[in-house]
Amino acid sequence: MTNAVDAPGAVRSARRAGRRAPRRKASRRARKEAMYFWLFISPWLIGFLGFLLGPMIASVYISLTEWDSFTPPEFVGFANYTKALTEDPVFWKALSNTFYYALVSVPLGLVIGVWLANLLNKRVRGRKLFRTFIYLPTLVPLVATAMVFKMVLAPSGPLNELLGWFGVQGPDWLLDATWIKPALVVLSAWGAGGATVLLLSAMNGIPRELYEAAEIDGASPWRQFWSVTFPQITPVIFFNLIMGLIGAFQIFSQVYILTVATGSVGGPNNASQMMVTLLFREAFSFYHFGYASAIAWLLFLVILAFTLIAFRTARNWVFYETEVR
Amino acid sequence: MAVPQQGNAARRAESDRAESYHAQRRLSVFKASPATYAVLLVVSALFFVPFVLMISISLASDQTSAENAFTVLPTEFTWTNFTGVFTDTGLPVGRFVANSVLIATLSAFGQVLSSSLVGYAFARLRAPGKGVMFIIVLATMMIPAQITMIPQFLLFKELGWVNTYLPLIVPNFFTNAFNVFLVRQFVSRISKELDEAAQVDGLGHFGVYRRIILPMMWPILTAIAIFTLTHAWGDFMGPLIYLNSEESMPLALGLQFMTDTSNAMQLPPWNLVMVGSILLTLPMIAIYYLGQKYLYEMNLQGGSAGVK
Repeated sequence: MTNAVDAPGAVRSARRAGRRAPRRKASRRARKEAMYFWLFISPWLIGFLGFLLGPMIASVYISLTEWDSFTPPEFVGFANYTKALTEDPVFWKALSNTFYYALVSVPLGLVIGVWLANLLNKRVRGRKLFRTFIYLPTLVPLVATAMVFKMVLAPSGPLNELLGWFGVQGPDWLLDATWIKPALVVLSAWGAGGATVLLLSAMNGIPRELYEAAEIDGASPWRQFWSVTFPQITPVIFFNLIMGLIGAFQIFSQVYILTVATGSVGGPNNASQMMVTLLFREAFSFYHFGYASAIAWLLFLVILAFTLIAFRTARNWVFYETEVR
Repeated sequence: MAVPQQGNAARRAESDRAESYHAQRRLSVFKASPATYAVLLVVSALFFVPFVLMISISLASDQTSAENAFTVLPTEFTWTNFTGVFTDTGLPVGRFVANSVLIATLSAFGQVLSSSLVGYAFARLRAPGKGVMFIIVLATMMIPAQITMIPQFLLFKELGWVNTYLPLIVPNFFTNAFNVFLVRQFVSRISKELDEAAQVDGLGHFGVYRRIILPMMWPILTAIAIFTLTHAWGDFMGPLIYLNSEESMPLALGLQFMTDTSNAMQLPPWNLVMVGSILLTLPMIAIYYLGQKYLYEMNLQGGSAGVK
């Protein structure tokens, strides 16, 4: 109410403030605006303090304790971290599995994405149709995707049925330590359409003159791809690489759904135990909240390290047009 | 070297657009060979196989799916699975769907409401400390959810929220950094003249937000709503941590329970699970096609590394 009455006066007085500078009135208005600012951002601020900063600090403390949430926490210093890094073989297995998954699935997805985008960027009839077919899988919720793969890879599932036609006895894919990780990689490759579409739109934006010049110079299509197309799409590749790595290090749902039937999450003999599935098991099956929190921080460090490495190397291979101009 | 053809003179008379199209046609790098088509056909087919299986198995009768799981062409088609999924699984699948709808829509509402308020403030209002706050917003994007997962769980357990929807819905009313960033970018591009004029006419800061900026924000808010809906609808880990009674589960988690069998020798009812997967998938495809252009808008605003 008072607002509506005050505001015109405030604006007029502010105009006068511009000329004659009665400081007090201007600052009262500024204080009011500042108050509104804090009021407007209060949802985020409360969320930040209550759901992020508070829990983060708590997480640091919990990671230094042994705690099952029923008995009082016992301070153990860095014991949880040293346990993960020196005593627990499952942690190292989970770490190496996560590395394997991230470092195979993310580059593979990008190679497929660049390859398909390059094909779709040609004068293809039915380009829209092909693009739809390739993009459609990315709209399927991960849980539904995992269900289809779980069904296809079941011991008597479609894939083994198909192999049977050729006289091949297929393995029990999801129960077999050799096959579970490749299965997860194939599942992630099914979502390569997301990167494809982003890369395709980046390719559409490349100035045609560059290709015309290359053509006049007699460059082959292969050479044109590596000298014109590829440098121009490196920013998008870089973006997808970073987001892909961050996502891949946090892989959880697929692993859980595909391996939960084998008795314990993480597959036979922890063959597909990942950082987050291990964290989940330690926290919510065993109530080792201290140890699980330590794993969470180690995961954060891994993600941070890879992000930094990616940004470090970026200047050697990511091309930004603005740098040239 | 490409030689300009005779017919080009006539073509040049056409619009610029047509000209550039035909110029592009000349370039050898854009020539589609039979191999291009072969690869695209094979890849599209491979990408489509899981859909074919999902649909065909969902139509297979119990006998067909038990005897021969590879039912690309089921010996007998039946639509009964599409009703059977609600009655024959021993699980409250109708409830699952209702729970999913409830959680997803309330989450989207919370994100739209809170991100529009906070994003508006970061774009328009001046205050000491705003710069620092915005850097904090951006920095929080780097923190993986796993760090806060355990303390959050303990907090919600303390509040007695376990086995309710609250842990899945309430945090959305406190927005997230990415959405704040999107709204702020969007509002920054709206001309300030309108809200200055409105202030002269007597609107306060809330009035400007409510009457001027909010009505103009809907493209980005639609994008945020779609993004949140999709995320909440497909979320598996959150419900897995917080919900343990069948009555309160969303579909994404309920599907997992559908594949649980009492003993290892028993096959899960794959035909019904596939119907469930279709139920989980179809709304997402529908929402995507309805909201496609707003998602494009978001890509633009998010500035995903210069993607157009």
